[in-house]
Amino acid sequence: MSIWNYVVTAHKPTNVTHSCVGNFTGPQDLNLIVAKCTRIEIHMLSANGLQSVLDVPLYGRIATLELFRPHGEAQDLLFIATERYKFCVLQWNSETSELVTRAMGDVSDRIGRPTDNGQIGIIDPDCRLIGLHLYDGLFKVIPFDNKGQLKEAFNIRLEELQVLDIKFLYGCPKPTIVVLYQDNKDARHVKTYEVALKDKDFVEGPWSQNNLDNGADLLIPVPPPLCGVLIIGEETIVYCSANAFKAIPIRPSITKAYGRVDPDGSRYLLGDHTGLLSLLVITHEKEKVTGLKIETLGETSIASTISYLDNAFVYIGSSYGDSQLIKLNLQPDAKGSYVEVLDRFVNLGPIVDFCVVDLERQGQGQVVTCSGAYKDGSLRVIRNGIGINEQASVELQGIRGMWFLRSSTDDPFDTFLVVSFISETRILAMNLEDELEETEIEGFCSQVQTLFCHDAVHNQLVQVTSSSVRLVSSTTRELLNEWHAPSGFSVNVATANATQVLLATGGGHLVYLEIGDGILQEVKHAQLEYEVSCLDINPIGENPNQSHLAAVGMWTDISVRLFSLPDLNLITKEHLGGEIIPRSVLLCEFEGISYLLCALGDGHLLNFVLNTSNGELTDRKKVSLGTQPITLRTFASKNTTHVFAASDRPTVIYSSNKKLLYSNVNLKEVSHMCPFNSAAFPDSLAIAKEGELTIGTIDDIQKLHIRSIPLGEHARRICHQEQTRTFAICSLKYIQSAEESEMHFVRLLDDQTFDFISVYPLDTYEYGCFIISCSFSDDNNVYYCVGTAYVLPEENEPTKGRILVFSVEEGKLQLIAEKETKGAVYCLNAFNGKLLAAINQKIQLYKWVLRDDGTHELQSECGHHGHILALYVQTRGDFIVVGDLMKSISLLLYKHEEGAIEERARDYNANWMSAVEILDDDIYLGGENSFNLFTVRKNSEGATDEERGRLEVVGEYHLGEFVNRFRHGSLVMRLPDSEVGQIRTVIFGTINGVIGVIASLPHEQYVFLEKLQTNMRKVIKGIGGLSHEQWRSFNNEKKTVEARNFLDGDLIESFLDLKRSKMDEISKAMEVSVEELAKRIEELTRLH
Amino acid sequence: MHTCKNIRDRESGKLRADSFANRIKSNRISQLELSNHKELVSPHKGAINSLQIDLTEGRYLLSAASDASVAVYDVQRPSGYEGNGVISKHSSLFVVDKQHQLGHKYAVSSAIWYPIDTGLFVTGSYDHYVNVWDTNTTQVVVNFKMPGKVYKTAMSTLSTSHMLIAVGTEDVQVRLCDIASGAFAHTLSGHRDGVMTVEWSASSEWILITGGCDGAIRFWDIRRAGCFQVLNQSRTQLGRRPPILKRSVTTKDSSTKVRSAQKKFGNGSGSGQLPIGRLSSKGQLKQKLHPGLLSTQDRATAHYGAVTGLKVIDDGMYLLSAGSDSRLRLWDVESGCDTLVNFETVRLQTSKPIQLATTQNSALVFVPCMRVVKAFDMWSGNVHMVLRGHYESVSSCCFNQQDQELYTGGNDRQILVWSPARSITDEMDEGAPDDQDSWSN
Repeated sequence: MSIWNYVVTAHKPTNVTHSCVGNFTGPQDLNLIVAKCTRIEIHMLSANGLQSVLDVPLYGRIATLELFRPHGEAQDLLFIATERYKFCVLQWNSETSELVTRAMGDVSDRIGRPTDNGQIGIIDPDCRLIGLHLYDGLFKVIPFDNKGQLKEAFNIRLEELQVLDIKFLYGCPKPTIVVLYQDNKDARHVKTYEVALKDKDFVEGPWSQNNLDNGADLLIPVPPPLCGVLIIGEETIVYCSANAFKAIPIRPSITKAYGRVDPDGSRYLLGDHTGLLSLLVITHEKEKVTGLKIETLGETSIASTISYLDNAFVYIGSSYGDSQLIKLNLQPDAKGSYVEVLDRFVNLGPIVDFCVVDLERQGQGQVVTCSGAYKDGSLRVIRNGIGINEQASVELQGIRGMWFLRSSTDDPFDTFLVVSFISETRILAMNLEDELEETEIEGFCSQVQTLFCHDAVHNQLVQVTSSSVRLVSSTTRELLNEWHAPSGFSVNVATANATQVLLATGGGHLVYLEIGDGILQEVKHAQLEYEVSCLDINPIGENPNQSHLAAVGMWTDISVRLFSLPDLNLITKEHLGGEIIPRSVLLCEFEGISYLLCALGDGHLLNFVLNTSNGELTDRKKVSLGTQPITLRTFASKNTTHVFAASDRPTVIYSSNKKLLYSNVNLKEVSHMCPFNSAAFPDSLAIAKEGELTIGTIDDIQKLHIRSIPLGEHARRICHQEQTRTFAICSLKYIQSAEESEMHFVRLLDDQTFDFISVYPLDTYEYGCFIISCSFSDDNNVYYCVGTAYVLPEENEPTKGRILVFSVEEGKLQLIAEKETKGAVYCLNAFNGKLLAAINQKIQLYKWVLRDDGTHELQSECGHHGHILALYVQTRGDFIVVGDLMKSISLLLYKHEEGAIEERARDYNANWMSAVEILDDDIYLGGENSFNLFTVRKNSEGATDEERGRLEVVGEYHLGEFVNRFRHGSLVMRLPDSEVGQIRTVIFGTINGVIGVIASLPHEQYVFLEKLQTNMRKVIKGIGGLSHEQWRSFNNEKKTVEARNFLDGDLIESFLDLKRSKMDEISKAMEVSVEELAKRIEELTRLH
Repeated sequence: MHTCKNIRDRESGKLRADSFANRIKSNRISQLELSNHKELVSPHKGAINSLQIDLTEGRYLLSAASDASVAVYDVQRPSGYEGNGVISKHSSLFVVDKQHQLGHKYAVSSAIWYPIDTGLFVTGSYDHYVNVWDTNTTQVVVNFKMPGKVYKTAMSTLSTSHMLIAVGTEDVQVRLCDIASGAFAHTLSGHRDGVMTVEWSASSEWILITGGCDGAIRFWDIRRAGCFQVLNQSRTQLGRRPPILKRSVTTKDSSTKVRSAQKKFGNGSGSGQLPIGRLSSKGQLKQKLHPGLLSTQDRATAHYGAVTGLKVIDDGMYLLSAGSDSRLRLWDVESGCDTLVNFETVRLQTSKPIQLATTQNSALVFVPCMRVVKAFDMWSGNVHMVLRGHYESVSSCCFNQQDQELYTGGNDRQILVWSPARSITDEMDEGAPDDQDSWSN
């Protein structure tokens, strides 16, 4: 890999951070706007549920999202403030269906320390001003003028330093805020302030309240006529206003999210940290509040945001689990819950760890992530592929073949589906109720297996069985003509098109028949030296009904031959090599180029470019598509030809930019497939797999498919052991008791079913911190090594931990060895046959030693200190790269002869690391606390000791995500012949559920794309006027510098979605044609 | 707070990444003690007067001593190890002293890095000279002669348009020296006695704050003549900001208003509007003085005695001052009032300027109090820590934000390093038989 890197998102963020409801796209439209950290989704609530209107990225991490309506506006406007102190006001233009920026600006200040608790952004209910709490001790006001335009901002000093929440009160003649704060004795109070716009200062507010619940965390302003504020604490809920004070005790819980139900503010939904949804009611008589009531409604995903939509529909946005659309029922169900989950929206975040495995052992990686948290913890298996949307399915065992037939030659739709079994053939047809029903075609022979059937000209159907070929009228369904195989010979393989039939019998006989009106005529017969294994006469060329070429695969000499039709003259013979016979052969055409595809019995596919005029086969390529024999079938999707390769790893073959591409289908195993286009199921496929026949449509784009495995507990680390076909995870479970406590486990899971097969509970207070699978020198066994830490409540840092070595015996975790350590084991690596552990601030190397009694133990060999906390470690050869808590990356070297580890070089910047990976021998990648990525390079050629001892920073980039893990690997199948196939990639997972890919590019390509990125920036304007260049600049507490040696793949790939006029603009600036640009960028999209 | 739990909460997003960093830093600062793993080897033969860590990398420490020597140390990369590799020793990278061409002849009272990079550093000495040195060649590239002993030099870290060194000497005038031209820019008049401390504002590159032996603290906008604010210890406000307007005040020209005109520079834009109007409304003017010199009439004092130390708090809103009256005061920069934070009375040095240090987030201020260094909580005034280790009076403290380490220097010629406690037990210390004492024979 190199220092020139390309960063692209494979899966968008799914963590819902904010949501709000209002009339944004139109005065009568009810919209739900959801923020997923760096993305905004606008939905409309319609009779059919939530419909997506817009889904766009933002050049910033959203800190505040609020809808408001200034005077005189017919629709709501959207106010967004980002974590890097930019803000914008967006409006929806219904005519162009676009977001328009009404205002934008920068709200950063030179003075003031950024707040610890995150930003607070609020808008006065009467739209007189916007209030922001960005820095300790300062409240920033952006006033509106009477035309609804924003005026210049100013700061007001706040006495309170530890502010927990600020909200605007309703129904006040002057804009008034209520501030919930903590004093330096940790007591919590609430105070109100009036904002005097002319004086640019506060005036004492109407009331205040001291000594609230110690866990008071959330303020909910109550609309008129009641007004006042609700203060939500951990043990009490209080209603407070100028003339009333009511309190009720609640079950101890931490309320994280709330949603107002009624416009008059009498009811609120509250979501707590365990996912319980409650309804808070303010009882009142006219305008006087008489009390508070709270009732538990049920359980949802742990909510980060709650938005009441309409008619008891509620959107629950979650950061730790799947977001949900629920309905609140009037009557509780059997379990006493009023909550009915209508829809789930997958959330991969937070991705705390993941591994890249090839579960089906077929050269394509799948990512298995530890996602979610608390009770919403899960494992997610993410795979790249095309999906089949199932529409109907029926159980049918033993399908040997399937074909579609039409009721007449001119009918655009298929009517019959012929399904063949070993000793019979069944025919299904669409009835008037759009259901598949068994029917009969009298002319067909239903008591035997059908080898092939096809539509024929003149409203005919043809069926080939082992004894004969039948020609049947499609209208009358009566037998018109039959050709019998000569006695003593049975038909082994057959194929047909609309006008021709080609079959082979035992003894190498090849027979060619032509279909006439009501008559089958044997035209030619050839005798081949070997048996025929497969045939194809798919018409490619101008005439869709007739082919002048036949492809024949042969036993014995393992060749594929091309014969001319009708004379059956041998044109080409191509030896395939090897010993596996061709099991399926197909003539096809993609984008005007003809190909011959030949699938072998061991799952390999050979493809050749075919010159149809002289039958020449060139450009031979071989790809592995599975391990079982493949059957090939063409189908059309959106007017383009595709080929479906059915096998144990079903694949769709298609062409783009004159290159053949292979895309996995998200199905386990397909034995047969045929395209089925009926009025009820247009453009569908019928797929036969283990005992089931499914009809569905195919997705047109390849994308990530996610399989969720809910665990009910929080998985933190995961590791795969190929030899035992297991996964091992470190997980923790929350035990709801009087005192919140956790239990940690090491669990063993089956790698196909993901069932728990064994468990090892850790001690009380012991956390599982890391897990790897490795083996040691002089020992053939493979072990799981787990690093743990004892987290005692009275300590600041663990002083004790353990390294546990397990082996998997008979499906159970057996503890083989155990080693106590003097601190938390944050990371483990297999290192030169030994075990390298990061224990608090030390890197410690252990040997695996055989004791006299035959057991093994870990013995420490040497160590290195010099870190604040060694949290992330990667190794390569004798080099160790350590990511420190706050001292960036350092490089250590293990010296064999001396048996010591010494520091070679370090990066002297104060980066707080979040993840580390080795790109190649000299270049290391780091993710850090302020959502940046950077690369450093070892400087072996430095002249002085000082220069050699410094890791040079060679790349910097603001990703906008907190990366928890990097891993080498790929989500897509790598084809050896493609340019992109040579590029090595690193996958990363983040807290927001983003899965991304970093690829190193050759310098020339990097320079080209950098120029493209610069031109894209000029043409594409960020939402809200935010600048891409500023967004991607490396930014932390100490400095902000322009991005270097990293390119934003998401921006570059958005070229393909631009309007043609914009594409032309860029093409002109780049001096490269639009087609060439599109081709190069499409190549890049294949990285993910 | 438990580190392991916080790391776990950060990775799932339960704890914000910046809060995590702040907690870890606060925790480390609360555990500061005399370092058991790091030592700076001081080559000085006189009392240490000034310490500063470079602003770009947080790596190079500059120290100045009474024996006319100035030294630079690399605090990240040790020059050697001791105690089985456990203690890192950091010797000076170079020393400049009397022997140097154009080196100072008498005590060096102040040494600061050029804010942009470590290529230059500036020293001020009792020999009346301010020298600008090239770090790589250790040569003086330009020097300035002052009318008296130099007490303090300072350069603005925010400056993008000027390279001015503000110099406080035993003379009443504060001088600004321009490195770019090698000449004096201008002088600031107003103090009635020598100026011991000089600090630039943390929010504007044009604003300078000086503390004089006359007990006055003056704020100057160097683009204009005269100072625009003189801190008065009798002007107070209880708390972080002036009192909120009472609710009963409904008209804006009511006389119950307490505050004076707002100073706009508090909002972070560099240029402020100076309330010249305020000065002229202060009363009848007896003489026709230049408007800029009106401030000379103002005899307000911030301390009863000399102002010996000044520190601008990083958020730019407050100023800490120490005086020979053994008082520490925290001032609200915008309102110019003493916030009345009650710092426990301490004995402070009176004859020399002292250098205070503050931490970024945990609001602690380190004050040299004779032989010890006390860490005060900035808002409660309570002493959180007492750092004992020096044998004689301490005069300067310098806090390294990056590593959360404190460096202190004083009359005992030592530079002590105070760092968060670190356990240095070796994993191999378990039961190696050779190490055990054998008692029986």
